[in-house]
Amino acid sequence: MTKQNDDMKVRPDYRHAYPVLVILFVLVTAGLTVRRLLVPKSFGEYGYFRADAMDDEKAIQPRHVGRAACVECHEDIAAIHAKDVHASVECETCHGVGGKHVKDNDVPMARADAKNDCLVCHRQLDARPGSFPQVDWQKHYQFVGVNDPTTACVRCHSGHEPLYLDHDLRTARLHPLIQQCNSCHMGRTDETLKKPDTHPKIFQCDYCHADLAKSFAQGSHTKVSCTTCHLFIKETAFSGRIVRNTNPKFCLLCHRKEAFKGNAGGKESGPPTIEWPAHIKDVSKDALDPNRPCVNCHQDQIHALYTKEAHHAM
Amino acid sequence: MPCNDSISRRTMIRRLAIGASGTLLLSIFPKLSFGKEDAPGASQTPAKKRPLYAYAVDTSRCIGCCACMRACRAENDVPEGRFRTWVERYRVRANGEALVDVAAQDNFVFTEPPAEDIVKAFFVPKLCNHCEKSVCSQVCPVGASYESPEGVVLVDQKRCIGCGYCVQACPYGTRFIHPETHTAGKCTLCYHRITRGELPACVLACPKGARMFGDLHDPLSHLSVFMKQRRYRVLKPEMGTHPKCYYIDLDLEVV
Repeated sequence: MTKQNDDMKVRPDYRHAYPVLVILFVLVTAGLTVRRLLVPKSFGEYGYFRADAMDDEKAIQPRHVGRAACVECHEDIAAIHAKDVHASVECETCHGVGGKHVKDNDVPMARADAKNDCLVCHRQLDARPGSFPQVDWQKHYQFVGVNDPTTACVRCHSGHEPLYLDHDLRTARLHPLIQQCNSCHMGRTDETLKKPDTHPKIFQCDYCHADLAKSFAQGSHTKVSCTTCHLFIKETAFSGRIVRNTNPKFCLLCHRKEAFKGNAGGKESGPPTIEWPAHIKDVSKDALDPNRPCVNCHQDQIHALYTKEAHHAM
Repeated sequence: MPCNDSISRRTMIRRLAIGASGTLLLSIFPKLSFGKEDAPGASQTPAKKRPLYAYAVDTSRCIGCCACMRACRAENDVPEGRFRTWVERYRVRANGEALVDVAAQDNFVFTEPPAEDIVKAFFVPKLCNHCEKSVCSQVCPVGASYESPEGVVLVDQKRCIGCGYCVQACPYGTRFIHPETHTAGKCTLCYHRITRGELPACVLACPKGARMFGDLHDPLSHLSVFMKQRRYRVLKPEMGTHPKCYYIDLDLEVV
């Protein structure tokens, strides 16, 4: 017994620990190998994720091309589009994604000329901001006298320049000038905002209707302002008609030989007055319709007629 | 075999304590743990700061045309019935009852004519808020959901196991499981576009500029300037997620 005790003091017996150490070594080695195999290469580069995943995401090809790509070929349309209120609308918002069309021009873009395409944005909704032009199309068609419900909006309103009507104003009878400042300037911070002097004088009739103003100045009504005769009838906050006003009763308010407010009837300083309805019999032996517009005969005393050519030359 | 050389309890506790503190010391050693570090090249080019992308929504400008939803679908192949972004319509009745709906079908177009008893109505576009402390990334068990160094919350499609924890965790309901790939899908802020210097598809498509995107680290970016001028708030601030999607003109009805 004493000899055994002496041996243990000299050399402790650790043999029982060897298998444990070997097993530990194998486990750690295997663990590290498995970890190396399982954990992706770039894991932990920026955080607890695989950094290469960002490259996977970056590798996706964009499909929207942006208007800069459209302008390369469609410069003419882009120039018109940039001037009008739809300038803030991207080409691809209406015409769809352009990636394929840019690569192969034979792949068509969406035309977006159906009524429902316009109504996506302009249909009257209660949640739509009140400052945004929106329309109850049935009421609108009734107002402007369009009977065919299948008529597309683009028959009158050009999608690229909606403020100017494609049709002759007297046919369409809608005046575009019922926009608020932010209808055009929404989101724009370009130089024009800082130069109000160079802004188009859209609230002066002669800025757009220069030809009419010129002939009007040569006529006899120069003291009368445009809006005295051409009243504006509001349809919505955004649209309405400028009335041509050919009702003879309107002319007679000033020109009838009867006292009307300041017009004491045939004063020299006032406008020329006539007897009514005797005047009609004076000018024509045939019994004419008393509702016949005065301007049918007196147009040249007011201003020249509005022509489609003149409008398009503007 | 007799074992007379047993150590005392005191010695054993001492050794255990030393071992535990050693392990702790090792674990906080930065090179051994996955800390958030900048890219290796970032310190060499200090002139160009890494961008921090954020998003803003001006709800007063939104007209509810849902062009953003169509653009997102076209750009990102979002599956039918799932949304990376959507436009909620809030309508409040005179008695205070609020109706909330989304145009989920028929090309995402709202068509109902205005109702008479609605006193207040507006649209609120929603999308991933790209939170600074994103819950979805925290709960992901495999490290597939993460925040990129630019502040964009993304999903590693190769690692995602589709367990759906992140879908459950997101307080804003912006995630979904893709029915074909069975992985988590979400708004990436069009990461493939913004890293090329382009705008996200929804921002590009918005006709009224209701959606804004920009770099918060650039004081002259559209978004930075906008946020200095306008009053904004975030959705569900009480969740502590620190969202980077800022809302202008938000009503209390909106959750």
